[in-house]
Amino acid sequence: MSAALLAELPALPLHEAGKYVAAAYIVLFAMVLVYVAIMAIRLSHLERDLGELLAREQADAGPDADAETGKGAAGGQARESTLV
Amino acid sequence: MYGKGLRALSIATVTVMALALALVFFWAPLEADQGFLQKIFYVHVPLAIVSLCGFVVGGVFSIQHLRTRDARWDMRSYVAIHTSLIFGVATLITGSIWAKGSWGHWWEWSEPTLVSFLIVFLLYATYQPLRFAIEDPERQARYASVFAVTAGAFVPLNFIAVRASTAYVHPRVLGATSNLPWQMSLTFLVSLLGMALLFTTLCKYELTAKHTRAQLRALRRLAERRAGTAGIASARRGRSAAPSLQATAMTAQAHDGRGGR
Repeated sequence: MSAALLAELPALPLHEAGKYVAAAYIVLFAMVLVYVAIMAIRLSHLERDLGELLAREQADAGPDADAETGKGAAGGQARESTLV
Repeated sequence: MYGKGLRALSIATVTVMALALALVFFWAPLEADQGFLQKIFYVHVPLAIVSLCGFVVGGVFSIQHLRTRDARWDMRSYVAIHTSLIFGVATLITGSIWAKGSWGHWWEWSEPTLVSFLIVFLLYATYQPLRFAIEDPERQARYASVFAVTAGAFVPLNFIAVRASTAYVHPRVLGATSNLPWQMSLTFLVSLLGMALLFTTLCKYELTAKHTRAQLRALRRLAERRAGTAGIASARRGRSAAPSLQATAMTAQAHDGRGGR
């Protein structure tokens, strides 16, 4: 079916003009990709900061808080999976 | 609050962009004069239109900021202008590629449309340094808003002046002089919609990220205050071109019914 579909489609003239067209669309794709990469880096920073804050809060609250939220490290894992 | 509807918007953007690409390469007819090279038109022109509209939208948000003194409008204006600048870079690069393929030169200084877009782009390129030069966040936001309103008014004036000019070689695709076949017009409109959705999605992503960071900063301040270990690093924000938001104030405003988009 895909072969039949490809046969129906016009051939892309990837000669002289084709490289300019490809370059223009690659520019757009690359810019979106860079933007997404920057957002991913920011997101990882946010995750790290949030993790630090959570760890500090847990350390300040002591073992009682761990018991309340779900038995220590296992509770931490449970909360993490809920966040995900 | 900024993240609301982000998933639906992202899906719509990907769908419309994919549809636009399919129409461009597999449905729209080849142009008689330029042939396959004319396919650049479907990415270059929507990028330019959305970029210029983004600058104007940034100006409108700034008017709101000056009227209400609400920092969220300054943030929206900043993000709209910032994203428009990125789209502006893409417009200039794709335009240069098209010019090289079509005219044989990367740039044509005698072409009013190209030069006017470059002037608008360079004008807005000073926006971030202007913000960065002012340390006081209140003054920074106010001056940046005045700049955005003035420059935003310049964009349509510049556009009208260039269109009124008769000595041009740049193709006119919109308006009474356009003679695009309907397949090309439809493909162009879908591409334009896709680009507008991409712009909106990227703006929303950035607003959500900035708002989340502001909330996290506020949360850290609260935790430090409670523990009595308020550090200098978290108490005072370093100099930045980006607007500062007080997450707690924003959240309060969002809850009292005036906030939210």
